[in-house]
Amino acid sequence: MSTGIYILAFAVLLAGLYAMVAKKNIVKIIVGLLAIDYALNLMLVLVGYREVVRAGCRESGLPPILAEGQTPAQLAAMAVDPLPQAMVLTSIVIGLGLTALMVAMGIRLYERYGTFDTNRIRRLRG
Amino acid sequence: MSEGMTPIVKNTARLISGFIAVFGIYIALTGHISPGGGFAGGVILAAAAVLIVLAFGRSTAERIFTPSQCHLWDAAGAGLFLVVAMLGYFSGGFFVNFIAHISKGQVGKLFSGGTILVSNLCILIKVAAGLAGAFLALSAFRRQGVDAADIVVEGGQAA
Repeated sequence: MSTGIYILAFAVLLAGLYAMVAKKNIVKIIVGLLAIDYALNLMLVLVGYREVVRAGCRESGLPPILAEGQTPAQLAAMAVDPLPQAMVLTSIVIGLGLTALMVAMGIRLYERYGTFDTNRIRRLRG
Repeated sequence: MSEGMTPIVKNTARLISGFIAVFGIYIALTGHISPGGGFAGGVILAAAAVLIVLAFGRSTAERIFTPSQCHLWDAAGAGLFLVVAMLGYFSGGFFVNFIAHISKGQVGKLFSGGTILVSNLCILIKVAAGLAGAFLALSAFRRQGVDAADIVVEGGQAA
């Protein structure tokens, strides 16, 4: 099952790369970069995913949260790896700041040139 | 009422923005015992602010929160987080969980985990104010546009 999601993450990455390379609209380029960002986040979370053996059969791992009356050893035997998830949280925050910066730059370009088309944003103006 | 969207959007936003804000605070309050946390709750709380700005327009939204208020709460959240970290020196060192040294609480209950709950609330304030301020600043750009009225929006379709 997780192989399919790896392929999905790669497909999202390729779609974002296509949008960044082939599109001329700045908003679409920003969306493409965000798609690549989220594809990488998805792949990093998948690295920490694992299947566990519970009651004799293989099941998907539980979220790494300590429930009531559960020892840490019991949790460690059943949960997925929390480290990539913590790292992805940082990555999401950085992506958020990057988005705000890119959108602000795009708005400034639109004010200056009156268009989002990168073909028309060429000459110095104003 | 020239600014903002249609009355349908305005009434819907009026109805649900409070629930979105309460849900964001709930996510931050239970961040140490369930999925979520200060950042996720702050983003949801800021989403309620974004909804208000989009539905009612910038000038109506500024009656609820202004950019200077957002700056103030943004800085206050960071400062409070630092204060919580420095209070750890009372029981040993930087970021030491001083509340857990007094009473640990019971795993799975709301008042457990010591300073993690307080830190989550500080992060909630910081993230919500920062995001709402950033969105207000971005929405200000369009109003200052020199000739925003006669600009034809052209999608840059590759032809």
